[in-house]
Amino acid sequence: MIVVEQKPVDEIQRIIAPYEKVLILGCGTCVTVCNAGGEREVSFLNDALLLAEAESKSISHAFSQHTLKRQCDEEFLDLIANQIEGIDTVLSLACGIGVQCLAERFQDTVILPGVNTSFMGMAKQWGVWDERCTACGDCRLEETAGICPITRCTKGILNGPCAGTKNGKCEVHPEMDCGWILIYQRLERLGQLDKMRRYYPPRNFRPIPRPRRIVASPSFAAAGGSHG
Amino acid sequence: MVSSKTAMGYQSSRTKETASDHSLMPPCQAACPLHMEIREYIDLIAQGKVMEALHVIRDGNPFPSICAYVCTHPCEENCRRVQVDNPLAIRALKRFAVEFGGDRMIDLEAETKYDDKVAIVGSGPAGLGCAYYLRKLGYPVTIFEAYLELGGMLRVGIPKYRLPRQVLDNEIQRLVQIGVEIRTNTRVVSLDLLSDMEYKAVFLTIGAHQSLRLGIDGEDSPGVIDGATLLREVNLGLKPALGSRIAVVGGGNVAIDAARTAVRLGTTKVTILYRRSREEMPADPEEVEQSLQENIDIRYLVSPTSISRTDGHLQVSCVKMELGEPDASGRRRPIPIEGSEFTEEFDSLITAIGQSPQVPDTFKLRIGRGSTIQVDPITLTTTRVGVFAGGDAVTGPATVTEALATGRKAAFRIHDYLQHKYPVDEKNDKAILSGELLSKTTETIKTQNRQEPKVVGPKARTKDFRPIEKVYNWGIAVAEARRCLRCGMGAEILFQDKCASCLTCLRVCPYGVPYLDETGTVQIPADQCQACGICVIECPAEAIVLRKPYDRSHINEALDHALKSASETKSSPLIIGFCCQYGLYGTGLLSGFWRQAKAGVQIVPVLCVAKVEAHHMLHALEMGAQGVFVAGCGEMCAREKTSFWVEQQIEKVKKVLVQLKLGEDRLQFFDPSTMEEEPVAALDMFTEHIGGLYLESLLKQEVKS
Repeated sequence: MIVVEQKPVDEIQRIIAPYEKVLILGCGTCVTVCNAGGEREVSFLNDALLLAEAESKSISHAFSQHTLKRQCDEEFLDLIANQIEGIDTVLSLACGIGVQCLAERFQDTVILPGVNTSFMGMAKQWGVWDERCTACGDCRLEETAGICPITRCTKGILNGPCAGTKNGKCEVHPEMDCGWILIYQRLERLGQLDKMRRYYPPRNFRPIPRPRRIVASPSFAAAGGSHG
Repeated sequence: MVSSKTAMGYQSSRTKETASDHSLMPPCQAACPLHMEIREYIDLIAQGKVMEALHVIRDGNPFPSICAYVCTHPCEENCRRVQVDNPLAIRALKRFAVEFGGDRMIDLEAETKYDDKVAIVGSGPAGLGCAYYLRKLGYPVTIFEAYLELGGMLRVGIPKYRLPRQVLDNEIQRLVQIGVEIRTNTRVVSLDLLSDMEYKAVFLTIGAHQSLRLGIDGEDSPGVIDGATLLREVNLGLKPALGSRIAVVGGGNVAIDAARTAVRLGTTKVTILYRRSREEMPADPEEVEQSLQENIDIRYLVSPTSISRTDGHLQVSCVKMELGEPDASGRRRPIPIEGSEFTEEFDSLITAIGQSPQVPDTFKLRIGRGSTIQVDPITLTTTRVGVFAGGDAVTGPATVTEALATGRKAAFRIHDYLQHKYPVDEKNDKAILSGELLSKTTETIKTQNRQEPKVVGPKARTKDFRPIEKVYNWGIAVAEARRCLRCGMGAEILFQDKCASCLTCLRVCPYGVPYLDETGTVQIPADQCQACGICVIECPAEAIVLRKPYDRSHINEALDHALKSASETKSSPLIIGFCCQYGLYGTGLLSGFWRQAKAGVQIVPVLCVAKVEAHHMLHALEMGAQGVFVAGCGEMCAREKTSFWVEQQIEKVKKVLVQLKLGEDRLQFFDPSTMEEEPVAALDMFTEHIGGLYLESLLKQEVKS
């Protein structure tokens, strides 16, 4: 899942300042799960902004709120097309994908991000989310016992651990587990320690063209419109 | 009131949002013959709202104080709290409500809408109940009673120490007030006569007053008396001479009543002879316990075989029994042990092995098993047109509450009959909650033992017939009511399409109730949920609601009310306090917040602080409150981790207050169970602090302008 974090309210205040009618738009998938942009957070942000207005004694915005099932598909966005007509800006609490999808669908409307899209990860417990994948496009998890060295090693090295590991912890964040020690321990558990002995050449990121596109079959390639 | 469409068709619902009420019927209500809204009135008592609780009780029961004394409380036998520690003392709580609730809310209005006269023969609980409902429906009703006073078994059967006659008289008086015609000292001998008197329908509820015979030699000797007769004589003011040593034969409630009555008449030695063991004894276990305290000797597995009278004493031959295979009643059949005969001397012997109705042949009705009147179970009609029957006369000896329920049912079936409507048996419009609590759920529920009402000591209580049970005081009643598990009111995922399957509910539930089923769908089983409301507040998709979503709108309404009254009094600075309504009286912890709060502090009562959302706090601040506090019961809360989760909400709001530079110290949480200062002193400090902040902000504004 994509993990995001709501922007501080004072920052949101700044970015919405020029606009009067603001639609706070939530998203019902990843950002709901990570407690930053679902229906509850939309109404919480709405309450917080109303409070800020009340305290400053200057009412300069009119807020409305809505939460879509998903913002990263235009069909869902069609559902709010009417609502968009009367407003000045959409403050999207979806990830960067949702924000851009909105911008593509509603060409003449200002779309503002209400969250910082942080990483791809998972919930560790209630209220704690951890990064697990960097979407490098070249998965090597079968070599590393299902633990990603690029994400979980602070330095992202492919042949670890480095000399900085101490008691299984990372020298950069002393409270954080060393990714390579985790890989070693799990390979040992699986009886695959021989994988530690191999050498992995440095990765070359240059051949990855951005933005990337995946095409289900060649015949669809033309139908997808201009790339990017 | 009578025509409303709710639980079993008779009660009007107390909650405001009936449309969104998805709650299941709790086992206590399902077990109650009257299907009383037990969970609702218990919750009101827990909030200290006794008057409202009594209102709910009266809605489902025309004579609540009678039931408050004598109900055999099948609700308690079905209370699921027994799986945690012990069941709620529901009857004692009802007694508390009727004693403290006052009678201001009694509705004594009844207007005559129909001309068809209805006769009720017999004034036991079934007759009284039927009269009440028929009168409320708008019929002219006459009660015929053979004895001098109304009440049937309530008057002549139940001893006064169990049901004070003042209580009975008060309830009966209300029937007179709503216009029921009473004819006492009038034995009905012919039903034809009633139709000659232009009664269009008759409800026969003549009870079961005829004691069953032992069927042994010497049963008719002087000194042998049956239990029903003894109780009737004593209850009507006679004082039969029983001698100093008496035996009571039987193991039911009448046997116990007779034995305890004998003790109160001055009998020195009372022995109960029962042919089975204590386990099979049909009498209320609590009463058995009390009779043992009153020095009554209960001999199990003993049965009399013959009685002979010599020199004014009874020689009672008995045989010892052993238990064989279960019989038709499901209890193990007693079998005499050969050669175990023995003889004992008593001054008198009371038989109490059951009673049957005595229906005059002149009624010309079909009589069934055990001399009972045969009726259709749905319409309660007998073999004669327009004649309905119910109560002990139909069922054989049963309970007061069952009789009241039959009386109510009869009233509605007679109404159907007189209005030519197709008689439809009442249907339950709510599903009944079933299922045991899982052990992992019961392990996480705090144990809190049942508090029995105080009973007068055995020595003092056996001197006379004064009532023996004391009523709860406020503190104990509220604490007892807070033990309710609120079965069937728990959380449900109302909007499955909104559910993002984020598993927040699984992670926050203190009882581990939500789970992922094999299809990967989150389930919150209703039979395990404790309705604490934490998952409702934490669900990021707002997909979860409580089955009785009353609390949320309640907080909004109370907050609006507080803000409105604050704006009227123009108090500044304004402080809004969300205080647990349960903690108000129950623990007494929060009482100071309410009673000694200074001017400018507005209290919003909430049903547990776990239901206070960030929204409520932000809204209070937005609407002009300078300070907001939340005060809960902390460790004293009947639910788990409620303080922890409301603190999460508070932290969230504080973070925003910091970001907006509005000062996080404007928001505070009070947990009186862990606080170092006195709650009132802490509140004073907070009030002072907010006052200071307010002055500061005023000064800043002055400087600015």
